[in-house]
Formats: sequence, C-alpha cells, structure tokens
Amino acid sequence: MEIVYVYTKKRAEFGRQCNFSDRAAELHVDIAPDDHALEDFIERDPVDIGIQCVQEMSEHDANTERFETGARGINHTEGGWPKDINPHEVEQVTRYRKKVEKDEMYISAVLQLGTSMEHCIKQNNAIDIYEEYFEDVNAETIDEAASAKTINVFRDPNEIKRTATHISWFPDGPRKLAVAYCNLQFQSTSPDTSMDSYIWDVENPNKPETTLKPVSPLVCLEYNPKDSHILLGGCYNGQIAYWDTRKGSQPVELTPIEQSHRDPAYKTVWIQSKTGTECFSTSTDGQVLWWDIRKMGEPTDKMYLDKKQEFANAQGAYCLEYEPTMPTKFMTGTEQGNIISCNRKAKTPLDKIAATFTGHIGPVYALQRNPHFTKNFLSIGDWCARIWSEDIRESSIMWTKQYSSYLTDGCWSPIRPAVFFLTKMDGTLDVWDIIFKQNNPTLTLQVCDVPLYSLRVQEQGKLVAAGSQDGTTTLLELSEGLYSMARNEKNLVTAMFERETRREKILDARHREIRLKERGKTEGSKGEGGRRGSQDPQAEGEEGEKAAEEEEQYQEEDLYAKAEKEFFSIIEAEKKKQPTPSQDFSEVEKQDELEGKEEKHVDIFSSGYPSRPETTTDENEIAGASAKEAESSFSGEEEGEGNNTESVPPDNEESGVTEVAAEEPKEAEG
Amino acid sequence: MDDFQSGEETAFVVDEVTNIIKEAVEGAIGGNGYQHNKVNQWTSNVVEQCLNQLTKLGKPFKYIVTCVIMQKNGAGLHTASSCFWDNSTDGSCTVRWENKTMFCIVSVFGLAI
Repeated sequence: MEIVYVYTKKRAEFGRQCNFSDRAAELHVDIAPDDHALEDFIERDPVDIGIQCVQEMSEHDANTERFETGARGINHTEGGWPKDINPHEVEQVTRYRKKVEKDEMYISAVLQLGTSMEHCIKQNNAIDIYEEYFEDVNAETIDEAASAKTINVFRDPNEIKRTATHISWFPDGPRKLAVAYCNLQFQSTSPDTSMDSYIWDVENPNKPETTLKPVSPLVCLEYNPKDSHILLGGCYNGQIAYWDTRKGSQPVELTPIEQSHRDPAYKTVWIQSKTGTECFSTSTDGQVLWWDIRKMGEPTDKMYLDKKQEFANAQGAYCLEYEPTMPTKFMTGTEQGNIISCNRKAKTPLDKIAATFTGHIGPVYALQRNPHFTKNFLSIGDWCARIWSEDIRESSIMWTKQYSSYLTDGCWSPIRPAVFFLTKMDGTLDVWDIIFKQNNPTLTLQVCDVPLYSLRVQEQGKLVAAGSQDGTTTLLELSEGLYSMARNEKNLVTAMFERETRREKILDARHREIRLKERGKTEGSKGEGGRRGSQDPQAEGEEGEKAAEEEEQYQEEDLYAKAEKEFFSIIEAEKKKQPTPSQDFSEVEKQDELEGKEEKHVDIFSSGYPSRPETTTDENEIAGASAKEAESSFSGEEEGEGNNTESVPPDNEESGVTEVAAEEPKEAEG
Repeated sequence: MDDFQSGEETAFVVDEVTNIIKEAVEGAIGGNGYQHNKVNQWTSNVVEQCLNQLTKLGKPFKYIVTCVIMQKNGAGLHTASSCFWDNSTDGSCTVRWENKTMFCIVSVFGLAI
C-alpha cells in the first residue's frame, strides 16, 4: 500500500513573486585620459620618506639598596693606662703598678677577671687560627717503582759498525745528540771503515741530521755549552778539531799533528770562559793540552801527568773532570787507576798536581763531581764505582759492589744528588740511588746485548743516551722518580757523605795508630813484628759495615808489616857493615820497588836514617819524591819514633830533599 | 502593508539618491585637494554617510554603495556594471563628482525586498 502525504501552502505565503530579468550592462563612468591635467601634475622627486632600521631599545631604571663601605684604622697600643702615665717609662709604670696592687679591690678584680681570661687563653690554645692545613702533605708523592723506557735507537748507518765512544747533548734543549764513532780496538780498523760521526735529531732515528767528517775517527765529541753550533772533537790520531755546523761537515780547524796528542785524544772539555772558545784535552800519552779554537796552531798551555812534569813518566789519562765553578782545578783519571787532582794555575810546575787518589785497580774511565756537592766525586774503573771526598786521599768514602762485568762509563744525575748511572760490558745500564739502596742498584736495564761504552744524561735529567760497541745509541726516558728531587734529599745526601767521610777518617786514624804501635814493637824487639797479623783484635771491633773492604786493607797492612820487617833486617845488616857500598842500597830500592811498597820504606828511610853517607844521588831522588807524600801523611809517626833527627816541615819537603842530596857528597868525602 | 505597496514609496527614486550622494561627497571631501594619506578616510566616510541617509528613507531596500576616488593626473577611468534583478522595483544610481584635483565616483544599488 502506498501512503502519500501531501503538504499544502498558499502561494501568497511564499512572499512576493520573483520576476527577475537581466539589465543590460551600463557604463557608469567614462573619464578619458587628459593631457592637460597631466601637465598640472608635478612629480615629486626626490621623495623624502623616513624609515627606521635600528633595533628598538628601551631603557628602564631600577633602584637597588646601596652598600656603604668605609675604612677604619685601629691603633694597637698598650691600653688600660691612665692618661698621665706613659707606658714606655718603666719607672712610672712600676710605681703605678705598685699603687694598684695595694688597692684592696685589686685581688678580687684579678680573681674575677682571671676566669674569663683563662677561658680566652684556653680558646686560643684550643684552636690555632694561624694553622696551615695541608702543610705536611707532600704534593709530589712518588711511589711508583723506578723504571725507564726506550724512546729511540740510533744505529750507525755504516756497513762496518764502530763503537759509539762518546755522546754529547745539544745544549739548548733535548733535541739533538752528537755521537762520536770510533773503533777503539788496536789496529783492527780496516781501511774501509767510515770515519764519520753524526749529529742525530732525537725524533728521527732514520737519518742523521748532520754528518761530521774528521780526518781521523772521533773518540770524543763535545758541544760548546755557550754556542750550540760549535762542536769540539778529539781524534783517534790525537788531533783536536772543531766544527761549526753552519759551515758544513768538514772541520773548521785542526790542531797540527806535531803539537797534538800522541795517543787518541780521549777527552776534550770546554772551559768556562768569557769568549767560550777555550778548551782542554787529555790522552793516554799523559799530556793535558789547553787550546783556544781561535788559534789552533799550538796549545796555549801544556801539562804532563807526572809529579815532576816529566813527559817520560807521565801517566796516560782516559778522562777529565772539570767543574766550571772551580775554573783552575781539574781532575784526570789515569790508566793506572789513579785519580789526579790538578791545579792549572799553580805557582810552580811541581805544585800542579795537588793530590792523587788511588783505589781503582784498572783504568779510570769516568770521573765526575757531584753537581750538588762538588767536594764529592764519582769515579768509574775496574769493577766498581767509587765516590770520593776531596778531603780523604787514602780511600774512597763509598763504593759499589764488585760487579762481575767491567764498568765502562758513569755519571751523576744532574738533578738528583743521590742518583748516578753506570754502563757495563754486559750491555746493562745501572741506576743507583744511594738514598734508596746502597748495596744494589735501584734499576738495572738490559739496554743491548753488546757492551755499552758511553753514557750521557740530558741536562734535565729525564733522558739518558747510552752508546754501545756496535754503534747503536739508545735513548731512554727515566721514570719521574729518578729525575725529580725529593724535598729533603739534599740534606740526606749531605748527611750520608759526611757520615762516610767521618767513618773513613776514623778508620784511617786507627790504621795509622796500629801501624805506629807495630813499628814501635819492631823497633823494640826486632823479629817479632812478623806475628803482627795474629794480634789484630781491634780489627774485628771496628765498624762492620764494610767488613770485606777492611779485611782487604788489613791484608795490605800485613804486607806492609812484612815488607817493613824485611827492610829493617837489611838496614840492620848494613848498619853492622858500615860503611856500606852504595851498590847494596840500590838493590834494596829495587827490591822495594818490586814489592810496590816504596812509599812506606822511603818514609822510614828518610826520617830514621836521614844522613846515610852511602846513598847515591839517584836513590835520593826517588826517596825524596816519595818522601814528600809519605811525610805529609805520616808526619805524626815521625815524632812518635823519637829517633828522628831531621824533621822536614810538610810545605818545605822539596828543600828537605835537596838538603839530603847536598849533604851526601860532603859526607861521602868524609 | 506588504500587500499594498504604493509605487512611489517602494520604488528606487534616482533623484532622491543622487542628492543624498552629492551631499555625502561634499560633506566628506568638500574643497580639499588630493591627499594620498587622506583618501582611505574619505572613501569610507562617503559610503557610510550615503548608507546612513539611504536607510533613513525607510524603504524596504537592500543597498550596495561603492566609492572610487581618483587623482586627476590625466589618466582615464572606465567602470561598468550589469545586474540581474527585478527591473520594476530595483535600480541603481551613479554620481560623478569632481573638483580640481580628483574624481569621486559613487554608485548605489538598491534592491527591493
């Protein structure tokens, strides 16, 4: 079914009927262009228009409260005095005090104030307001173990390897290293061997920075501390040459062969001078020559390492020690194991040798004063390193253990007074810190498998360069503890050196005493002296620290005693035979020389029997020379002996000797 | 009332409107010369014044008023319009007014309701 719903609405209700129609387009305005109007029109040109292109700013005021500051002085004077009393006048003050003390209120006032005063004092004592915290905290506590690491290895670039005999650091910072190369083995140098030495850049081990071309291989090479372009070298043939790195590889000047050393120039040293051109050198020929590089034609000065300045008897030297603070003094270490302390500016030639230190039984290869304590010096020779004090000539004050391999070089740390370095034939480098350990090195480094020959520490103490037999130079960097000085280190080292010096002095005095006693005994009852060795209880009582060493010395003592006994028996025999032919005496001398105890016997000879008519001039000379030394050290004994007829004052020894010599022919005539 | 609208009352009388326009234009612009920054103000014043007066007539009309002001610088101006409306009741009126410096053209469209 479909549902349809119809709505109905009247037409009228829809409103008016729309009856729209279109209206044609109609033009409203039609204004034609008008040229006249245009003529009235004037263009405004230029046009002024204001524009703003700056950032807009605003300003505001704010008011804060003002903080008033002011300065006020306080005058600290003694207070509490009445106006008419001047606190600086003692009389007024005491009078006023007495007056106050008499006051009956005085006691009670003091009692009352006492408690509060006490409180204040207690407060003051409880807290120290001026206390410095962290004062005893050591900022640089170094407890890491000593170590060293290899930074670079510089190899001899030549086919035939040579020994790196000497190293010198560039004086202005650890940037360069001059290394002298030379084959030191006698006559084993083949003609093909290169003679060059090199300057290496520390950063570049591949190629040397500069090549030095000497006429004969360099044994030593030294930078001029004043002018880092100048290098001084000692040649194998004894010549001294110097280079200026600005002028190339060839030496600037060479010393003439006839004026130079006759053996390899083992050591050259620059002297502290205004011009910075002076230097000196030494060699195993026993000469010490002074040079000025502005005038290399001949040495400016010359000296022989012999007491009497005789070239024939001079001892060959391997090393020199020169300390710029003592410009005229220097020391040499000889092939014979002696350390000779010399004074270049001595008045007489005979005074040039100030002292001799004996102790090493092989050549002394290195010698250096401690940079902090110039009285003490280090020597390297045979199998041990020794530290000496200038005051004690008889023996060193400290020494290292006897190494199983031979020592080749050594030096002090420039920063730490207690540290020194050693190189050995087994290729190891030892670092000793005598404050840390005395019986063993602090650090032992196997640098290479071949013997090490040279060693040099950089001025800042951090870098060490070690040269070996096959020409490799190893650059090592030490751990911080080995180149930074502890706060009390200097004091500790001073104390140690002083203690050892004192110990050595006591021992020395003791030996002398024993010797004297022994002599007295031999004088009294001849023949009994031989048993001296058994009556030595004092020896065991001595300090036990270096017992082994003492034993050695006591054995020496025994030898002395034995030799003395023999000598005296001969003297006795001769006394009986008087006058004895001079022939016998020279025999005696020979015998003495053979035993190596010349010094001892001559001492007795010159003091006990000064005017023996039989002695020959020859003998007297030897006697006199050794007597000088003997008398200076044993002057105490002479007085003790009692039968001393001629006491020669130590500073007049030489004249004493000549007296003996002069006396002798006269008596011989008689 | 709706049913009996007399012709005079409900028609768009052009003369009447023309007078209104002229008065409005004179009132708004008067003797002013052309001023660029015043033109906006003038046009809106003219149309508002016109519309006010037209509504006061009280006729059942919708009005559309436009106003154009042009500076007299020699340029031409042509405007036209066309409408689809009840021609018997609706009407339009355009007045062109000018002074020395500008033209003012006002159009009014009146649409009977």
